Amino acid sequence: MVQPYLKVEGLVKRFGPFTALGGVDLEVYPGEVHALLGDNGAGKSTLIKTLAGVHQPTEGQLYMEGTPVNFRSPRDASAAGIGTVYQDLALNQLMSVTRNFFMGRELKGPLGTLRMDEMNQIAHDEMLKIGIDFSDPTQAVGTMSGGQRQTLAIARAIYFGAKVLILDEPTSALGQVQQMGVLKTVKRVRARGDIAIIFITHNEIHSRLVGDRFTFLALGKVIGSGVAADISDKEMRRLMSGGAELGDLKQELAEI
Amino acid sequence: MADLSESDRLQQETWFQRTIRRPEIGAFVVMIVIIFALLIMSNGKAFNALGLKNNIKIISQFGIIAMGAALLMIAGEFDLSIGSMIGFAGMSMALMLKWGLPFGLGEATPFLAFIITLAMTLTLGWFIGTVVVRSGLSSFIVTLAFLFFLRGATEVGFRLINKSTQVSGLQDFKQESWFADLLGGKVFGWFYDIWFAIGQFFVDQGIDRTDQWFTLGGNLNRRGTQWVDGFDARFLWFLVISAVAYFVLSRTQLGNWIYATGDNKDAARANGVPVNRVKIGLFMFTAFCATMFAACQVFDTNTADAAKGNLMELFAIAIAVVGGTLMTGGFGSVVGVAFGAVTVGLVSNAVFFIPTIDGAWFRVFVGAILLAAVFANERIRKRITGGI
Ligand SMILES: Nc1ncnc2c1ncn2[C@@H]1O[C@H](COP(=O)(O)OP(=O)(O)O)[C@@H](O)[C@H]1O
Ligand SMILES: [Mg+2]
Repeated sequence: MVQPYLKVEGLVKRFGPFTALGGVDLEVYPGEVHALLGDNGAGKSTLIKTLAGVHQPTEGQLYMEGTPVNFRSPRDASAAGIGTVYQDLALNQLMSVTRNFFMGRELKGPLGTLRMDEMNQIAHDEMLKIGIDFSDPTQAVGTMSGGQRQTLAIARAIYFGAKVLILDEPTSALGQVQQMGVLKTVKRVRARGDIAIIFITHNEIHSRLVGDRFTFLALGKVIGSGVAADISDKEMRRLMSGGAELGDLKQELAEI
Repeated sequence: MADLSESDRLQQETWFQRTIRRPEIGAFVVMIVIIFALLIMSNGKAFNALGLKNNIKIISQFGIIAMGAALLMIAGEFDLSIGSMIGFAGMSMALMLKWGLPFGLGEATPFLAFIITLAMTLTLGWFIGTVVVRSGLSSFIVTLAFLFFLRGATEVGFRLINKSTQVSGLQDFKQESWFADLLGGKVFGWFYDIWFAIGQFFVDQGIDRTDQWFTLGGNLNRRGTQWVDGFDARFLWFLVISAVAYFVLSRTQLGNWIYATGDNKDAARANGVPVNRVKIGLFMFTAFCATMFAACQVFDTNTADAAKGNLMELFAIAIAVVGGTLMTGGFGSVVGVAFGAVTVGLVSNAVFFIPTIDGAWFRVFVGAILLAAVFANERIRKRITGGI
């Protein structure tokens, strides 16, 4: 068995008296898409923010390639190879594709000047690798479609050394066609074989289409996990709705 | 491929389309209109040798502080303390020049007076910036506080040390000090040498042009015997500050950070941009611009006054907006701001060349183009962000 890139053991996160995560275990492997599913409020965002160094765990331990790690800041996490693409993507609309791609990590020449041609070329090439041929990287991000923005944010994370790529609901705010575009992008990143992807969604179909391994969260706890082949559609639906049987729900609704 | 066709939907623009969509195009058109209107209405007087010099003077004054205000606005903040900072810096320099260095450290040279003042204003700029980023309060309210605070402190300082709130009749430092000359003297004398040489040429040809274009007061000039022998040094500083601002904003990492900070500071921070340092640095830059404004004034006129720089912060912001800077940050053009400074400068001076108009029209005009500019800028922003 391959060693997991990232391993989470008994992760607990409390905000004051509130337990957002109550002991979560998770393993992600290179070349795999690990789908993280759960209802709103299940704790998905809290989990990935802890992985990304935004929150510090109350209890539990993270391991990168077998070694225990502690992230004190997002900077620590990204230096260790955790690349997070948040729902808001951390893009600036008024700025060009290239300026966004290199935001905060610009390539500098003498006097702090930007090596603009080189940066344009890299931004173009990196986005092409995962699926979009952007003819003009000097155009503003504001003119891009949601799917293209997602691709830009993913390409940026990979270029700057992400070994674990975390995607927070990348398909949730998009139209059908663009959702497929993002799923294709995810597949292409997966095909590289050297990157582990954590794919957060509450769309069952999308997770089926790209997921190799599943973890279901409900109320801060893992209520089910396994590789794709071991989880039936029925089981999946049950876990998606927080562990309740569809029949029970029907029953409950009927009683009102 | 869905995403492939997506990018092709962006229409390829011609050079002309690109040009008319530039953010500074509105400011450029307004500037050209004003130049021609003024040229015609003043019978050319606005751009004769003396008229040009006087117009460039006021344009440079506006331009210097507008650059500071614009860069700060691009980073998403305002500075209402610019005008009071001008008054404060002017007082500081004039008092040192008149009464000597603080703590009885002896006479102040122009250089020392300037450097000590700059150290104080930069510290103030740093402090204002730090208060804004640490408190998370709107810079509007924090700098409004400093508008009052600094203006009051300036008056109190004047009265305590000097009895009166004015200093006049300082010695003409630029005669002896190269440093004072650099700030308050004349630059680009060659421009007027050429100018008057052309005039002389016409006379030599027997075409005796006695209008105001190449001559002054109907007489031909020889260098030294005339009043106009160059532009004010502040013109040079306006050009230097603009050039540096342009270079930094469009070509450097710091420029990218300034845009990123103003556009969406959370996104910038998430990508490792030192948002707070960028903002504090730009508050220091506006303080620097205010100090240059004051220094040029003190060494040019050898006077200072507690009321100097009044309302200048508002003109600086107005010019930045007229030049295409977004009130919400993240977008703006140094070239546009320079056009804005030319426009507002020319109109503020117009009354001297067209005595029949009421000078108050100037404010009416500034109000009108400001409003027009805000709408135009909003349209540009919507276009770039796809209408959100
Ligand atoms: N910073 C915080 N302070 C207090 N409670 C929080 C904080 N962040 C998240 N929570 C709570 O933790 C729970 C899980 O939230 P979240 O991780 O955002 O869920 P999900 O992303 O799965 O919808 C929610 O009840 C939310 O209110
Ligand atoms: Mg969430």
